[in-house]
Amino acid sequence: MSAIITLSLLAILVLYLGLFKARRALLPVSLLGLVATVVLYGVQWGKTAEPLYSGMVLFDHFAVVFSVVCVILTILVLLLSKDYFDKSSPHVAEYYALLLFSLTGAVLVVSFHNLAMLFIGIEIMSVALYILAGIRKKDFASNEAALKYFLMGAYSTGFLLFGIALLYGASGSFDLAAIKEYVVSNPQGISPLFYAGILLLIVSLAFKLGAAPFHFWTPDVYDGSPILITIFMATVVKTAAIAGFLRLFYFCFIPLQDFWVPVLLVMTIITLFVGNLTAIVQQSVKRMLAYSSISHAGYLLFAIVAIGATSANSVLFYVTAYSLSTIIGFGSLILVKRATGSEHFEAFNGLAKKNPYLSLAIAIAMLSLAGIPLTAGFVGKFMMFSGVLADYQVLLVVLAVINAAMGIFYYFRVIVAMYFKPLDRDAIVVSGPYRVVFFLAALITLLLGVYPAWLTGLI
Amino acid sequence: MSVFYFVAFLSIFFALMTIFTKNPVHSVLYLVITFFTFTVHYILLNAQFLAVVNFIVYMGAIMVLFLFVLMLLNLNKDTEPLKSNLVKFMGVIAGMCLLVTLAASFRLLQISDPVVLKNPDIGLVSNLGKVLFSDFLLPFEISSILLLTAMVGAVLLAKNDPKKV
Repeated sequence: MSAIITLSLLAILVLYLGLFKARRALLPVSLLGLVATVVLYGVQWGKTAEPLYSGMVLFDHFAVVFSVVCVILTILVLLLSKDYFDKSSPHVAEYYALLLFSLTGAVLVVSFHNLAMLFIGIEIMSVALYILAGIRKKDFASNEAALKYFLMGAYSTGFLLFGIALLYGASGSFDLAAIKEYVVSNPQGISPLFYAGILLLIVSLAFKLGAAPFHFWTPDVYDGSPILITIFMATVVKTAAIAGFLRLFYFCFIPLQDFWVPVLLVMTIITLFVGNLTAIVQQSVKRMLAYSSISHAGYLLFAIVAIGATSANSVLFYVTAYSLSTIIGFGSLILVKRATGSEHFEAFNGLAKKNPYLSLAIAIAMLSLAGIPLTAGFVGKFMMFSGVLADYQVLLVVLAVINAAMGIFYYFRVIVAMYFKPLDRDAIVVSGPYRVVFFLAALITLLLGVYPAWLTGLI
Repeated sequence: MSVFYFVAFLSIFFALMTIFTKNPVHSVLYLVITFFTFTVHYILLNAQFLAVVNFIVYMGAIMVLFLFVLMLLNLNKDTEPLKSNLVKFMGVIAGMCLLVTLAASFRLLQISDPVVLKNPDIGLVSNLGKVLFSDFLLPFEISSILLLTAMVGAVLLAKNDPKKV
């Protein structure tokens, strides 16, 4: 709980710093606050967790680990934000504050123990992002992204609320423990309202996750938003969404598996194919990464299809691997776009000659996204696939392997452009924070690929 | 009971009118009436606080704001985006699927004793306040972050960028 208070106060402090024109202090203060949050979570680790505030939040290992992942990803995003916002607008403090608010929402989403908290967490997370998507006021694409995200997001909130209301109508409580009690104690007499509620919750959570057929906003919003905000959406928000999804279903709905697993199974397969097939034909790297994030949402859903005790670990591993690589992918795109003004694959041509280290980091990220051995992405995919195989869903694994092969095709286009398409170009200047972020992300990706046990035993 | 059926009929009727009228201003006015019938429903359920909030905030503030925005936008036939028949068709199918799912699950319900509530005063302001400040204190407080976020965002989006000096 102290972590959530720290985060909210930190955001308000940042707002005040903006008021007093202390622009140079913004980034250090935010980073310091985030590090303090991680430390506070670390202190909590290992203590027996109990639901706090009449069962509103529960900081068990699951919540703590995913919160720490969200906070660390935000630290990396904020490091990339140095020199990024200063050019576009004078309201930098507000941007930082909104990012921190959004992070607060994400942390609530992963640690809720009451559906009211889930709703408020998702809303805080999304409302801040609706605005952040549209901060380039003069840019038409950014306006479109903000409007689209807002309208679709508000609509999906309606589904979430209706679902929660139906669950409440059936079970008489918002509390996860009470809902679980209701499901376990009436194996025969579960109200039909409850099933409708589960379906509506699947709709709204799949929307937040960006899984097909509720993915239509993803490419336009990811493409139109400023790249830094896209990184935040593709990493922190996705982490929070899948963790909240898993938490709800793992806590409450396991006895009703026969009902919702087929639904999610179909959605997973559609998501994989939609994401990968459309990513293949893209010409812009930003759009390619947006579609690839849809397909990764599909891989993440594997853990819920084959829900069990190991699901949390595989989601944790997969989401960490995916987020680190995404940060490198989009982060390098910021640099390339700044240097060439283009987001197309051709903008990466000949990068390896002039920026060998940057190219190496991008290559590692792409290999990890594609799931090549010795990277974290491979271990993540391996854990997901083996979890599903243990559930005897052979067809799903076969389809997923086909999709992984498609993924290799489009991720390698970036690598081929960098290494095998020579072009005379100037070296891109990579500033200090970017170096740190790329180095850390690439290093962790490789280390986790070789020693996966560091992360797998946590939850 | 007959009051309920009458008001329920009115809400469904005006909700349908909201969708089917061509004129957007009429549509909003019908929506206002729909919300008014909801207010009557809340009063019938003895949920006075909800009724008042629905009346003042939704009907009064938000819908009037909506009406002003619509009038300022000056919508007419020419600006209406054309949707292909395929999209309409898909929309109808998806909406009907949702309707069938919900209707089916409602149909399977047993009707409980409709008038007997454990505590008939549960919707009164004092009871709501007690719940908000005891059991639901944390969500209540955290809503302030949500409101602050929305406020910061609204100011941020609406404010003019000052000229660079």
